[in-house]
Amino acid sequence: MSQSNEHQDRVAVITGGSGGIGGAIAARLHEAGATVHVLDTKPSSVKEFTFHQLDVANEADVDRVFDAIGKGAGKIDYLVCCAGIYRPRPFLELSLEDWQQTLQVNLTGYFLCCRAALRTMRPQKFGRIVMFSSMAARTGGKNVAHYAASKGGILGLMRSLAVESAADNIRVNTISPVITDTPMPRAVVSDEYMQSRKAHIPLGRIGDVEDMANGAMFLLSDDSSYVIGQDLRINGGSTLW
Amino acid sequence: MVASDNARVTVITGGGSGMGRATALRLAGQGDQVCICDFKEENVRATAEQIQSSGGKVFTGLVDVRDQKQVHTWIAQVIAKFGKIDCLFSNAGVNARSTVANMTLAQWNLLIDTHVTGTFNFCQSVLRQMVAQQRGAIVITSSDFAIVGVPNAANYCAAKTALYSLTKSLAQEFAPHIRVNAIGPGPIDTPLLRAGRTPEEYESARKVFEGKLPMHRLGQPEEVAAVVDFLLSERASFITGQLLQPNGGQVMW
Repeated sequence: MSQSNEHQDRVAVITGGSGGIGGAIAARLHEAGATVHVLDTKPSSVKEFTFHQLDVANEADVDRVFDAIGKGAGKIDYLVCCAGIYRPRPFLELSLEDWQQTLQVNLTGYFLCCRAALRTMRPQKFGRIVMFSSMAARTGGKNVAHYAASKGGILGLMRSLAVESAADNIRVNTISPVITDTPMPRAVVSDEYMQSRKAHIPLGRIGDVEDMANGAMFLLSDDSSYVIGQDLRINGGSTLW
Repeated sequence: MVASDNARVTVITGGGSGMGRATALRLAGQGDQVCICDFKEENVRATAEQIQSSGGKVFTGLVDVRDQKQVHTWIAQVIAKFGKIDCLFSNAGVNARSTVANMTLAQWNLLIDTHVTGTFNFCQSVLRQMVAQQRGAIVITSSDFAIVGVPNAANYCAAKTALYSLTKSLAQEFAPHIRVNAIGPGPIDTPLLRAGRTPEEYESARKVFEGKLPMHRLGQPEEVAAVVDFLLSERASFITGQLLQPNGGQVMW
């Protein structure tokens, strides 16, 4: 494990920081001494985080909030993109509105937040960006064409940003989970379905938010100083590519 | 930090230089009882002295990983001495560069036997113990070139791709109690990168690598050690069968 207090006084922005995975990462960064800004549509219950209510797909709001954080703190060191929506629907019942809503939040929202954060990270010559994709980007899945497409788009976005930002000491990577035990899938799938997924996971359990936070902390830390443009697949061995 | 009696026992092959040495130093510094082997006696001794001088615990062996009997004998010694093996970093490697047209069977066999059969030998020996313990973590050194290939190193690329496949098979066969992952380092500043190249060839290769790499620099062995440390640790307890690439952005899939 990294020895230094490297996260002390870092300024971290976490989109979807009121949710399961984002909330766990926010808590870990706060414990490690970072200043944590949470961007979400739903308020965060943790008073130690600075909360900014916004829709990540709203360009003007995203630009305004990142600009205010950058100017207020004088820097933005970390961006963790977790804000996403998961609304499974059979393909032939998928309306254009469903499609666009998922793409706007899950993919355009990441674009807008990365662009806004990089305006501060580039001149300061330091930045760490971790975005959450999904194993669905590789495997696809029943009733998740829109979700899988949005998560696949994130991999292309990540790789391009990794190449474009490397010379400025900005590292960009993604994490791809399988179904994780959080309120987001719980809202749309039964407990029975969730438990049934264990049979497809060689490590024999459903991943939890701490598994994802461990991966995010690794990618934000100097332990991954030579890791850029990679997708860290935290999936219990369910997909090996 | 000094190893305590219940210290994690970590076996590292190719511990005499480069990434193996850096990983041994890092993990011993965190309190692991490290057990390192290499086929070069002076190298394994140098690593051991560095570990001991900073108060770490180290056990050494002179092992040709291609020789199953030597491997099984040394692992038996490790188990007899420490009673368990928590982690294995199977990392021993050599290089013998050549075009395919001029490659001798000896050059081909050296790479396949050392990387692939050597890793099989160690994994088999160590996994027997890990299965009995119902616990363990393994990291195998594959390469970016397992994915993309490279000219004048068909033997190296074939060996490294075999290791990636071996990793995935082991991960499935030994889940849920034992995790097996691979690393795919990019160009790392180690003796192996210099092997088979004149100093001039090395300089020109380094410039080519740095020009192509998004990070514009070679990686350091310590940067790989940090990744191995992560994968062997509980921080990666939900990660198995994966290839993690500390590669400066050389390959992004």
